[in-house]
Amino acid sequence: MYRRKKYLLIALCLFIAERAFSQCCTLGDPFISDAEQPALQSKILTASLAYRYSHSGKYYSDDSRFTELPFQEIAYSNYTELQVGYGITNWLTVMTDLGYFFNKTLTTPGIDSYKGYGLGDLGLYAKFNAFSSSRLKLTLSPTIGVKFPTGVFDQEVDNVQLPISVQPSAGSYCYLANLFVSKGFRKIALAGFASYEYSQLIQSENFYYKYGDQWIAALYFNYRPWKRVTIDLQVRNEYRSKSNRENEEIVEASGYEVVFFTPQLSYAFKHDWYVSAYADIPMYKYYNGIQMSFGYALSFRVTKKIDFIALKARHSANQSNKSELGVNMELSNELKQ
Amino acid sequence: MKRIYLLLGIMTALIVGCSKKENSNPSAEIKIVSLTETVNPVIAYDTTIITVVATGENLKYGWVANHGKIKGSGTSVKYSACQSCRGMNTITCRVFNETGEVSDTIMIRVTPWHSTK
Repeated sequence: MYRRKKYLLIALCLFIAERAFSQCCTLGDPFISDAEQPALQSKILTASLAYRYSHSGKYYSDDSRFTELPFQEIAYSNYTELQVGYGITNWLTVMTDLGYFFNKTLTTPGIDSYKGYGLGDLGLYAKFNAFSSSRLKLTLSPTIGVKFPTGVFDQEVDNVQLPISVQPSAGSYCYLANLFVSKGFRKIALAGFASYEYSQLIQSENFYYKYGDQWIAALYFNYRPWKRVTIDLQVRNEYRSKSNRENEEIVEASGYEVVFFTPQLSYAFKHDWYVSAYADIPMYKYYNGIQMSFGYALSFRVTKKIDFIALKARHSANQSNKSELGVNMELSNELKQ
Repeated sequence: MKRIYLLLGIMTALIVGCSKKENSNPSAEIKIVSLTETVNPVIAYDTTIITVVATGENLKYGWVANHGKIKGSGTSVKYSACQSCRGMNTITCRVFNETGEVSDTIMIRVTPWHSTK
């Protein structure tokens, strides 16, 4: 049971992998994916609600701050996401997530800001428990998934369409595959994560654009100083290749590489409730051309785990206790008589 | 298990509900006389003003840029684009009223930003 809890706590730290914010090339919703979780055991359900604030403002060219632009822009968003995972069998877990932007704002001092809001895209994932050994404390979980462009993509204000960067949806299907590996030791665990994402071409009446492919590689260090508290330190490298636009033209000022440091604190409450807080801090940034770079992000997540097998067992035990109690009472009544 | 079916049902409804907007009917009562810009080509991060002149009654105006940003509304808007929007960009102006709508496009080339220092 502790092992499961520990893996769930590790999983909580793996939720966040934010797509870096570049001025005109931001995909719909943040990449807050269950994909990084280990597969769940059979008949276990996890449901979580996350909140995330992200902030960007500095322009970068290559790996240096770019300060020559005659204006200042700030981009920020407030985002929440509901995520549900269910272990259909011990080897297959299905997961889904759906986000909502309270705002996705691009603002320039002295000028009215652009503000998008609304539903983000719906993600569906299948996660496999390829290998799991409690003796070795080793798990290996590959995942495949798809993000459906169900969110708002053609939002207008006063009949003027907002720029793509503040639209809540990515506007196209995104396919992803990843692999999660975790190795536990006594009080610590080490985990690795590798992910690939392919974004389909956005081809509509007004848009023709294809985001570059994204690769993520992350290393996690997980330490449990007390029974209910877990500290996670994550180093993550995100790379996105350049985008394409009409006539297969490569968008030179697109694509980036960012290395994040993500510290996280998680607490396991009674009755399988978990709370975690974490921050994404970029340590190294490289942007092709001139682009607005990712600033920082703060996130909170509340997770509830329901073990249906344990619930059923508890229910059966209660029933047998009641019937046992009934028999005892009958016996006692008979003795009294 | 019922909860899972309920969740799947909600998601299906969301997918079905997020269908595209229907196009409006074309109108013979509206005519776009001109669609012009003040600067073309425009340097990245700089601005050009796009103006539409149209005839018809109770007209409303809609704007879409395939790359870049539009600020303002009505008959005249400001268009700007960042470095990643370099190239030939299309700005579509939609003029509409209760009888229908017409639209026209203007192409604006965005050139790379360069320091003026």
